Amino acid sequence: MELQLKIPLRNLTRNRRRTLLCVAIIALGTAMIYAVLGYVDQTLYQIRFGTVAQYGHFQIASPTLWSEKTEGYDYLIQDGKLAQIDQILKQQPEVEAYTTELSFSGLASTDRKTKVLRATALVPANTAHDYNEFVIDGQGQGLQPTDRGKALIGKLLAEELQLKPGDFFRVTTTTVDGAYNVGPLEVAGIFTVYNTQADSQLIFVPLSYGHTLLDTAGVAKVIVKLKNLDETNRVAAAVQQQLTAAGLDLEVRTGFQLAVFYQQAIAFFNMLFGFIMLSVAVLVFFIVLQVLTMSFLERTREVGTIRAIGTRSSQVFTMFLMESTFLAILGAAAGLVLGWVLGQGFNALGITWEPPGVSEAVPVQLRLMWSNAWPPFIVSLIATLLSALYPSIHSARLRIADALRTS
Amino acid sequence: MILETRQLSKTYQVGQEEIHALRGVDFQADSGDFTVINGPSGSGKTTFLNLIACIDRPTSGEVMIEGQSTNQLSESHLAELRKHKIGLVFQTFNLIPVLSAYENVEYPLLLLGLNRAERRKRVMGLLEEVGLKDLARRRPDELSGGQRQRIAIARALVTEPKIVLADEPSANLDSETGKQVMGIMRHLNQDHHVAFIVVTHDPVVTQYAQRIVKIRDGQLSEENSRGASTKNPAA
Repeated sequence: MELQLKIPLRNLTRNRRRTLLCVAIIALGTAMIYAVLGYVDQTLYQIRFGTVAQYGHFQIASPTLWSEKTEGYDYLIQDGKLAQIDQILKQQPEVEAYTTELSFSGLASTDRKTKVLRATALVPANTAHDYNEFVIDGQGQGLQPTDRGKALIGKLLAEELQLKPGDFFRVTTTTVDGAYNVGPLEVAGIFTVYNTQADSQLIFVPLSYGHTLLDTAGVAKVIVKLKNLDETNRVAAAVQQQLTAAGLDLEVRTGFQLAVFYQQAIAFFNMLFGFIMLSVAVLVFFIVLQVLTMSFLERTREVGTIRAIGTRSSQVFTMFLMESTFLAILGAAAGLVLGWVLGQGFNALGITWEPPGVSEAVPVQLRLMWSNAWPPFIVSLIATLLSALYPSIHSARLRIADALRTS
Repeated sequence: MILETRQLSKTYQVGQEEIHALRGVDFQADSGDFTVINGPSGSGKTTFLNLIACIDRPTSGEVMIEGQSTNQLSESHLAELRKHKIGLVFQTFNLIPVLSAYENVEYPLLLLGLNRAERRKRVMGLLEEVGLKDLARRRPDELSGGQRQRIAIARALVTEPKIVLADEPSANLDSETGKQVMGIMRHLNQDHHVAFIVVTHDPVVTQYAQRIVKIRDGQLSEENSRGASTKNPAA
């Protein structure tokens, strides 16, 4: 082991400038991958957070609602079924809270304008699905459990209708039986979910108001919040099993299943990260290959000497590979530190951008977790070791007599 | 018999031309011999040395070390053989620049897997014999040519080989240092009772020889005490 450690380690100090160049290339590659991964991870984290905020961890509803084959409001869950669902959810210790919602479409109008709206009637201030946190600072307040004729209104819709907190507007819709119904609503607060479509159409009203407007006691779905995101699939499956066992024709869908955008975003960002990672790895591979080939070729006579005095070719190969491993570890570790420092600096700049379909600029942040450090470290290690493979094999297989003749 | 070659030949292909570097050489050497193989450049000295050092393979004929033919041995078996039975001294010293004098001499012992105490005993013993005990920590670039060659000689002897092969050991040294190095080699040859085979074009080196073999056009001839030559010097 001494043989495999001493010479490779000493060789790193032999040509310091070249070693530094190699370390710098590997470090730069590692830092780039670390930063890109930090950006992708932060974006996915935001999307995941947004998905859970929008859909909950999972939802329970009639299969006809999920399949969008419903006519009218035949998918509504009535009181008796709600009591059974309540029993089932209470048996799951992972369930932190749940709430019920009712959705409908209609028209929002003031004396000046009328706009199409999508309304969600919900239990105000229920922690399972609370939109109060999206109320813009200084633009009113969230819905309270005692509120009845109040609403939260999307920022762009409020702008279109020229509404501000305390103003009134009318909602026109049809009851579950198809009759027109109109009701007044006071703007409690204006919110943004940073989504152009949602901000221009969505309003939130108390569930009791929705029941009155639609003339029903039913709800469209039950939204469940868990204590731990990672338990989503397991608990959702367990609840589905219990619903079926109880003879309830209801279907559980996780927030991530419902959010088509989430699936697409995951696929896109994984592809983006894969592409950038591969590009950087290829770049590191070729540059390090060139540097190592030159470095190993310079030692041809030395290889001839140690082979002549009894070193096996496999030992020569191991020595070169060990040297490359040390180089890779050094470069990758330096890269992580560099990436972390530069990332922190970048985060401190507070740069923002407006993604497509998003109504407000969002900060561009890098999520520099140590758990994200492994992929760039491993990729740099593999890229460096792959680039060392050819010169190492070439050096190990040299004919001794030819190697000794090299000047 | 420590070393024996039988009808050893080596032919190189250079383009369309065949170069016969060695032509059917028979040679023998025994323990304690100090043989100098003397010949001009291009006479086949280094080719012969490479073949008997088992770092190159003959076109025909065979090399026997302690009665065992090396022709059929694999590369790893040949490496084992070189490690245990052959010591090498090169014209350009060929020390490992990143290792100290001590570590250079120790290197073959690491290959043998000896423990630290045994390694230290052998290395320091030999450094003392070549007069460089006090320079053990120095790197090759901090030593003179003569000192480097003495380190190389210590490295060649440290595994207690059966044969030490030296290729022009004094060629890169001034004449005085060359004589000192040859003196040390002769002295170690007698002390350790190891066969030394030195190839050189330097006639001065032949002064130290117990036995002189001439090489010309890939053929050996022994020079006897009367200065007459006998082809194929099987001792």
